[in-house]
Amino acid sequence: MYSALLFKEWLKTRRVFFVALIVSLLVAGYVILTMNSHISANGVNILWLGMILKDCSFVDPVKYLPLAIGMALGIAQMAPEMSHKRLKLTLHLPYPHSRLVSLMLATGTIQLLVIFVLQAIVIAVYDATILPGEMVWRVLLTMLPWYLAGICAYLCVSAVCLEGTWYTRVILSLLGITLMMVMFLKPGVMAAYNSMIIVIIILILILAVLSFGSIARFKEGLQD
Amino acid sequence: MTDNQAVISVKNLTQRYGKGRLIYSGLNFDVPKGRILGLLGKNGTGKTTTINILMGYLRPQSGECRIFGEPITEIRPETRARIALLIEGHIQYSFMTIEQIERFYSRFYPKWNKDAYYELMNKLHVSPNQRISTMSCGQRSQVALGLILAQNADLLVLDDFSLGLDPGYRRLFVDYLHEFAKAEEKTVFMTSHIIQDLERLIDDCIILDYGKILTQTSVADLLRDFACYTFTCDTDTLPEFDEASGIVNPSLIRNEVELYTFKPREHVAHVLESHGISPSNMKRREMSLEDAFIGLTGKY
Repeated sequence: MYSALLFKEWLKTRRVFFVALIVSLLVAGYVILTMNSHISANGVNILWLGMILKDCSFVDPVKYLPLAIGMALGIAQMAPEMSHKRLKLTLHLPYPHSRLVSLMLATGTIQLLVIFVLQAIVIAVYDATILPGEMVWRVLLTMLPWYLAGICAYLCVSAVCLEGTWYTRVILSLLGITLMMVMFLKPGVMAAYNSMIIVIIILILILAVLSFGSIARFKEGLQD
Repeated sequence: MTDNQAVISVKNLTQRYGKGRLIYSGLNFDVPKGRILGLLGKNGTGKTTTINILMGYLRPQSGECRIFGEPITEIRPETRARIALLIEGHIQYSFMTIEQIERFYSRFYPKWNKDAYYELMNKLHVSPNQRISTMSCGQRSQVALGLILAQNADLLVLDDFSLGLDPGYRRLFVDYLHEFAKAEEKTVFMTSHIIQDLERLIDDCIILDYGKILTQTSVADLLRDFACYTFTCDTDTLPEFDEASGIVNPSLIRNEVELYTFKPREHVAHVLESHGISPSNMKRREMSLEDAFIGLTGKY
């Protein structure tokens, strides 16, 4: 049953997953090319100075990509469930509902982690050849909140898609938009969210609960 | 659950549309093992609502529903495996292909019969790799039916299986389902808005009107006991018949009167005479289930 459920989730998300993976790697390549061209033009010392004194991380093109990927994956995975109320089929499967929803969310989250980790590895491996370890770490910490925002966006969109009533969908959407705005409050500052990483991780765990609420309301009959 | 217990048991079910119109109040019915029961009613009488309640997608305002002896809000996954569900419009995972959907469902049901599914699919002349979203409504209905047959469940719950189907596919659906249900002693609870399809299929029926059950009986008993009388008379208007008269939905077109009743012919004649109507050429008309349904619920 477990493998069958994974198979179903994979069928829904595989296209978005591969497109997102390719785009992420292309963006990583763009970041590397940008840094490389700076080094070619000005030398690596100027690059270092720019990163230390001007907070220039060169990873800005990555910034909103995890957010877009998280939203796209959430829609690709959950919208088919709510189209024609197909969720009824899923909830009729002889499998505990709480485990069913957990598995759906875990599948999407793991796919996001694979995309984000691969992108981060590509950037970090290149950075490690030209930057000291401490600076590589700073670059990764700069990108980490963006990746976490991507997971938050995925969880919010999932809850919105699984919600049965427009009223609650609007409420959940507003909540999601507010959270995303908070996560992108400090533009251009490297590792600006270091002190908030734990808070964001706790927030992700809380957001994961939203989808369970949407399913519970669906089972109550709260559907437009 | 013992053998003589009802497969579906509904007690004092009351439901409203939101906080507004009452759909029904104090609804009671049982579906015995091995019977095919059709829930009939006009649009908006609560057929799909009842199925949604029974399947746990809607919490009723009050009342108790049990399937295989378990309260519907606490049905175990093992019990759900014994129930096959057809959602209105033959909805399935349309992003899957014919082959993928069979493989997917086969993992959940211990009595899965792959051959039953592919026997039906072979009649469709479609490729195993064809995606369900690219199929016609009729073809999708056969996929849904094939999955139900393959699941080999003890209880089949079918919500408006005839929706969107042309006569050929409807007939195919009914014939397959009837043969399967009777040969395997399955219990079936179904709704359809095309009553003539159900006549070939169901043993028992519940006819719902707005807010109440009009009758719950076997189809054979309904067609035996419920009669349509026609006669001519010299009158421009018909009187109001009260409930005690047992006469329902009388209609007058020119001098031809048509009325329906569960009462015997003598009783009808007596009621008519007491209202000053002298019927001539009074006949009992042969009725189909659809005629009986319209007779009970009215044309409007």
